[in-house]
Order: sequence, then C-alpha cells, then structure tokens
Amino acid sequence: MEIRIKGLTRDYSSGGKGIRALDHIDLTIPANRIFTLLGPSGCGKTTLLRCIVGLESPDSGEIAIGDDVVFSRERNIFVPPEKRGLGMVFQTYAIWPHMTVFDNVAYPLKSRKVPMEEIRTRVARFLDFVQLTGFENRPSTKLSGGQQQRVALARALVAEPKVILFDEPLSNLDAKLREETRKELRSFLTRLKITAVYVTHDRVEALALSDRIAVMRAGGIIEVGDPKKIYFRSDSRFVADFIGRANLIKGKVVALEGAHGIIDTDIGAIAGLNNQNIAPGRNAMLCVRPEFIRLTTSGVTEGRNVFRGKVETLLFIGEAYEGEIRIGDTRITTTVPPTVDAVEGGDIQISFDADHCFLLPA
Amino acid sequence: MGNKSALTPILIVIVGFLTISPVLMLIFGSFSEGFGTFSGFTLSKYVEAYTDPELSAVLLNTLVFTLGSAAVATALALFLSYMYTRTNIPFKFFFGVISIIPMMIPHILFSISWVLLLNPSNGILNRYLMELFELKKAFFDIYSLPGMILVEGLLDLPVSYLIIAPAMSAFDVSLEESSRVCGAGTLRTFTRVTLPVLRPAILASVILVVVRCLASFSVPSVIGMPGRIYVLATHIYRIISTGFSADYGKAAAVGMSALAAAILLIYLYRYLTSESDRYVTISSRGFKPAIIDLKGSKYPLLGFVGLISFVLIVLPVLVLFYTSMLPYVMVPSAKAFSLMSWRNWLEVLEDPISLLALKNSVMLGLVGATLGVILSIFVSYVIVKVRTRAAGVLESLSFLSFSFPGMVIGIGFMWFFVRTPLYATIWALLIGYIAVYLPYGIRPLSSAFVQIHSHLEESSKVCGASSFTTMRRIVIPLLIPGILSGWILMASIFMRELTVSVVLSRPGSEVLAVQILRFSEDGLWGRLSALGIIMILISSALVTAASFLGKTLAKGRSPAE
Repeated sequence: MEIRIKGLTRDYSSGGKGIRALDHIDLTIPANRIFTLLGPSGCGKTTLLRCIVGLESPDSGEIAIGDDVVFSRERNIFVPPEKRGLGMVFQTYAIWPHMTVFDNVAYPLKSRKVPMEEIRTRVARFLDFVQLTGFENRPSTKLSGGQQQRVALARALVAEPKVILFDEPLSNLDAKLREETRKELRSFLTRLKITAVYVTHDRVEALALSDRIAVMRAGGIIEVGDPKKIYFRSDSRFVADFIGRANLIKGKVVALEGAHGIIDTDIGAIAGLNNQNIAPGRNAMLCVRPEFIRLTTSGVTEGRNVFRGKVETLLFIGEAYEGEIRIGDTRITTTVPPTVDAVEGGDIQISFDADHCFLLPA
Repeated sequence: MGNKSALTPILIVIVGFLTISPVLMLIFGSFSEGFGTFSGFTLSKYVEAYTDPELSAVLLNTLVFTLGSAAVATALALFLSYMYTRTNIPFKFFFGVISIIPMMIPHILFSISWVLLLNPSNGILNRYLMELFELKKAFFDIYSLPGMILVEGLLDLPVSYLIIAPAMSAFDVSLEESSRVCGAGTLRTFTRVTLPVLRPAILASVILVVVRCLASFSVPSVIGMPGRIYVLATHIYRIISTGFSADYGKAAAVGMSALAAAILLIYLYRYLTSESDRYVTISSRGFKPAIIDLKGSKYPLLGFVGLISFVLIVLPVLVLFYTSMLPYVMVPSAKAFSLMSWRNWLEVLEDPISLLALKNSVMLGLVGATLGVILSIFVSYVIVKVRTRAAGVLESLSFLSFSFPGMVIGIGFMWFFVRTPLYATIWALLIGYIAVYLPYGIRPLSSAFVQIHSHLEESSKVCGASSFTTMRRIVIPLLIPGILSGWILMASIFMRELTVSVVLSRPGSEVLAVQILRFSEDGLWGRLSALGIIMILISSALVTAASFLGKTLAKGRSPAE
C-alpha cells in the first residue's frame, strides 16, 4: 500500500532550545517495494518512521496510508498506532520477556480478536516462514539475538499488515549474522510482496536491501532513487559522499560533449557524465569512486582522464590496498588490487572512463 | 496513559501535599501562640526552646549517639561485605540473611530484647554473669550512651550493608593488585587503597545511618529514657507527652532543627551517591575478584559472623518468647521453667486495647501499603518514563520525605489534622505513614520501570493493543516483582511503625508499636513479649503470603490466557 507524506514537520525542544527533527517532508513511498530511509544519526529518519507508525505526532502536515489519512494536522486527524494496522520491528526487537515465543507472535492476533483456532494456524505458518518451527513454547528470554530478530519479524508479519516498518533491525547483530540476515530479509520481503519501510544508517545495508532509497540529512530528504542511481548518478554532493567512498575534485565546466561535460581542475581537464546539464562557465565538482580508478606502474598511456602521480600511502586492508595518490596538491583515494606492484613513494599512472565519473553542482 | 499531561500535575499536588504541607505546618506551628490556630505570630516558642538549659546536653547526646551508631553500623558492614566478596569464608549464604532478616524484627522489639538481657537490675545476661563471676555490680548497663549506640548500630547494619556491599563487589581488584606488586602487604593495601577508594560508599553509609538515627525513636525511648539520656527525638517527645500540657509549638521549634539537619544530610547523600561513579571504579571486563585465603583465621572469623547473626536474629526472638512465658523476668533455671505458662498470651488476647491495636496495625499495613504502592506506581512512571521538568520536580519532592524524622513530620501533620475530621482516626496515621515512607515504595518501582524499555510498550501498540491492554498484558506483568517488593517493604514498615504513630495515635487509633511502648513504660514485660511475638508472626506471615502470591502470579500469567 502506498504511503503519501505531505509537509510533515516535527519540532522537539530539548534543554530550552528547539530542534527541528523533520522539516516539511514530502515523500511518496511506493506500494509493495522495500523503501529505505538512509542517513547519518540525528537526521530524522527514525522520527519519520515513528510518525508513520503513530508513535509520534507531527506538528504539521499529513500522512496517508493507502486511501486512509492517518494523520492530518489541518483536519485534526490522528489515528493511534493500534488502529493503523501496521507491523514494526524495533531496534531492540522488543520481545516481551514474560511471554513465550508463541505468545509473542500471537499477540497482534489476540489484540484483533481473531479466533483461537486461526491464531494457532497463522502463528505456526509464520514461525515456519521465519524457520522457528518447534520454538513455540520456548521462553523468549532463552533466544539468541538472531532468533529474537526472527520472532520480532514473525510478530510484525502475522497480522498481515498493510505496511511493515523496520527501525535499524540489524544493528544489534554481529557482522557475520548481519550479512546473512540481510539476505534472508530481502528474500522474505520480496516473496511477501509487502510495502516495507526500513530505517538504517548503514549504506551497504541500504544498497543491498532496498528497491528505493531516500537519503536524509538534518530533517530533510536530499535525494530519492533506486540504489544504482543513488550510487552512480547521484544529484547531490552530500549523497555522493555519504553513500560510498568518493573523490571529489573541484573545477569549472568548460565544454559539453554529448552526455559528457569537460571540467577544468587543478590536475587538468576531466570528462565526466553531466546528468544535471551544468552549463559551461559554472563551477562544478567531479565525483569518481575509488573502485573505478585503474592503476598502472609501467608504460605510458595517452588519452583522456589519464593522470600521473606519486603513491603517498598504501594501507593493507585484506582483499586490497587502500592507496592515496598525489597529483600536484590533489589527493586521490583508490583501491589498489594486490596485482599492481605499487610502492609508497613510487610513480603511478591513474585513469578512469568518462562514463564512470559524474559532475555535481558545486 | 492517555492523559499524560494531566497525570504529572495531579501527582505533584498529591506528593506535594504529603511532603510540603507537614513541613509548612511545622513552620507555621513553631511561630504560633496556641495549638491548632495560626493566629498570634510569636517568636516565644523558639526563645523558649533554644534557651532551655537541657538543650545543650540533648544536642551533645544526639551527636554522640548518631555518629557512634553510624560508626558501629558502617564498620560492621565493611567487615561483613569484605568477608563476603573478598574472602573464602564458608557459609556465605549467611550474609544475605543477615542483610534482610533484621528488617522483619520491629526495632522496638529488638531494643526491648536488649533491655531484657542487659538492664542493670534484672537483665537476664547481667544476672547470669553476676552469678557466674560473683560480681557485685551489673556487668553492662544498657541504659547508657554506649548501650544505645550498640543497639542502634546493630539495627542500622542492614542499611549500611546494602550500601557498602555493592560498592565492594564493584571494586576493581587491579587497584589492589598493583599495590601488592608495589610491595605493600594485605593490611597496608587495605588501609591505603581499599578504604580510600570506597570512601564515597562509606560516607554515604555514615550519612544515611545518621539520618536514620535522628529519626529513630525506639532505642532512645526504650533504652535512653530509663537512663535519663535524652536525644532530640525523645526531647521532643518529652515536650509533647509529659508535664502539665503538651506544648506543640515548642516541640515544632525544636523539630525544625532536626528536620533541617536531616534534609541537609539527605541531599548531601544524594549528591555523594550521584557523584560516586567518578570514584568507585567499575571495571568493564568481567572478573572474579581475587579471593583472599583466610587460612587459620577462617573459623574464628566465621564464629564472629555467626555471633552477629545470632545476636541480630535469633536472640531477640528467643528472649521475647522466653519472657512471654514467665510471670516476671528471671534468669533461666529449673524454677523459671516450672513457672512457664501461656497466661501472658491469654491476657493479651483478652485485652481490648491490644486487640484494637492489632486490628489497626494489620489494617494500616494492608490498606496503607496498597495505597502507597498505587501512588508509587504512578509517581515512578512519571519519574522514569515521562521525564519532563515537572517530573524532575516530582522526583525531588518524593525524595524529600526520605529525610523526614517521623516524629517531627507527625507534629507538622497534627496542626493540619486537628482542624479536620481526620484527627484521632487511623486515616490520619495512614496519611502520615505514606508521607514519611513513600520513597520505600518508589525505589523498587522506579527500578522496575527502568527495566521496561519503551519499545516493549510501543511494540504492543503497533500490534494493535489499546493502552489499557498494553498496561494489563505488558506493563503490569513486568512490574509485578517491583510492585511486590514495594508492597512487602511498605506493609512491614507500616505494621511496626512507631515514630509517626507515637504523635498521631490517639485513644481509638492505637497501633501495635505504640501499645508495646506503653507496656514497656509500665514494665509489663510478659504481655509485651507475647504481643511482640504475635506482631512478628503476623508480619512474617504477610510477607510469606505476598511473595507466594507474587510467584504464582508471575508464573500463571504467561502460559495461560
């Protein structure tokens, strides 16, 4: 079910001064997709999620889920969370310690006065779905972190909600379990064809899990798009920098060549995709990601987007080196594969395709 | 919790009435001419109270009594918690018992059992030792300052232990280990490293015991007054209960300084305990503290611990039971055993005033604790979960009564009650009890609330449960342990309450502790002991029943429904 948010604002006061947690948010969350709110801590993503679910009441604006307006300051509508028919997985999982696994999962159905017979079959079905069959009578305090997470998921899904919301559900798991759970969650949600809103500050999680991502900062939404668009063709310098490691080189657009723009920088002219049609004469910034930079220590190639520099530092990080290349006064971060025989202080040549970098307004 | 906005102001009004109004009444009272009126502003009560030639002796006695008891209680607590956390002394389960059980024996009965043992004329232990060593004089006169300090120190040992023991077990042993590596021996390490690091806990314990001694009435009345050793509490009691006419104005004027001292100390205590994190180092890595092998001194030390437990728990009950069976106090002998009968018990059970006191105390325990816990649930909820500035005000207000000397607050309430129909009813006692002992309900409940993460409630709402269902199925079941310990604590305090009651109790609203005090003033030791044992039995039965009920409730909740 689609969620439409219009002009949503939420103010807090803490220690005498006001903080605007959400600043006139307009957003449409498409139906039956995994939608992620991504941003650094304090950007308002959790507040937005809590407004959608009804645990917080915004100061102005409107929220509609499907055809139902669940919040409108103007029309004085506030549907309490228990009447919104949503499911949510909390960061702490919020598994009730005084209940068994069965009682936890059955709770939403009991609240909705579903007959006991049906409760049994549906709880069994969803416990099977999250691979916890046989755990019904286990006290919930005797579960591992991963199992608690699955109980929380089963509980959020069991009443077949219109929308399921996730508040950083993987942040309490260790790194290995997090990766596995991420994959599992993606396949669960894709099979269910349900609208999911997912909050995280982890860019890898967002890229791996989502159909669409909204990047937030300081109470506002900066950019919305599918993961590849956000990563490869971002419209915003903040997003480009936040979503992955990026080299940002300042300069001025001097010419246009089809889809590409030529930007004059400290290290010379660079060609890159000009998605935003920045006109010649304007200041701009070129963004190139480390993994797209090719390196070679032997031979000299002539052509576009080829530069020579010195290896400043090489940091061994396991699967590769993280290298810092210095060209004049400009430092470029690269991923150096172990096959390249670079040494610190040595000469090196870098190159990248014009289709693998892009221009941003400065 | 729909009306969050209305809840906080309502609670501030209720708690404010309970804590601020008796203080205000006390202040007004100390400046008024007569009792029950506020007309005629006068300073004469202060002049009279503070030019009293006996006051300086009273103040000196109070100082020695409170500091002495604090020193005894804290030193014993240090010893016991060191033995418990840091040595290989056998039978460690003793220590938990030592810290809990004395709370069940009413202070007045504990004090009286020591009078029965060590009074100079016919104290059982004194007579026995005199016969054994053919002494001319009593071995030890309990009616003295050292006697008072000894008994009060033992009574406050549990309080002290509950402060020192957690600090001792949170102690980072590497601090001691590095001292040992630097060449210091066990004793030197203890005095140079262990004690200084524990200083905040030790100070907190001393302050809290001093505040409790200021409020204490059992020991000063049962042991101090027969020896003509008056402290502030008994000095005030003397002003309102003896002589030609009770002078509540003068009592209020004296009470003001006790109250001021207690409030000052209790806020110092709060400051120290909130800052204590800076001093007591709690190591993040999991460790088992290094256990010191006591070797040969193991059993002598165990004997000492055993003696303390015997003196604290078994002896008082034993002495009371023994005395309750005899027509008069005598050393155990064949003759004594031949004279034993249930006469005192039968007399008490036929005494209308004792029966009324029994009924009133049980009523106050059950109803008072229930009301007190209900109030505590709401106050703790606001303090822990709402956390607005108004909630902070509420917290400070409720903490204030932690300092209240019961008798002084009782006098403050007198001014209020005398103008209402509540005067001389047990409802007056009920209000006074809740005002003075509210923190004992709030403390277990707020720690229970702290453990309920807000996500647990929110997730219930998202699951479609109403606020009421969330309360019934999530919050209350998780609160049960806190509710229960708050209720047990309040019920057992109310059943044996003396200091507030001694002021507010009137004919018709007698309670157990006051009736026991009357018996002791009249020297009716046999009946006193019988009534005392009945009192201990009832409160133990109550505590057992309540904890049993709690266990079945906690168990029955989850699988059923």
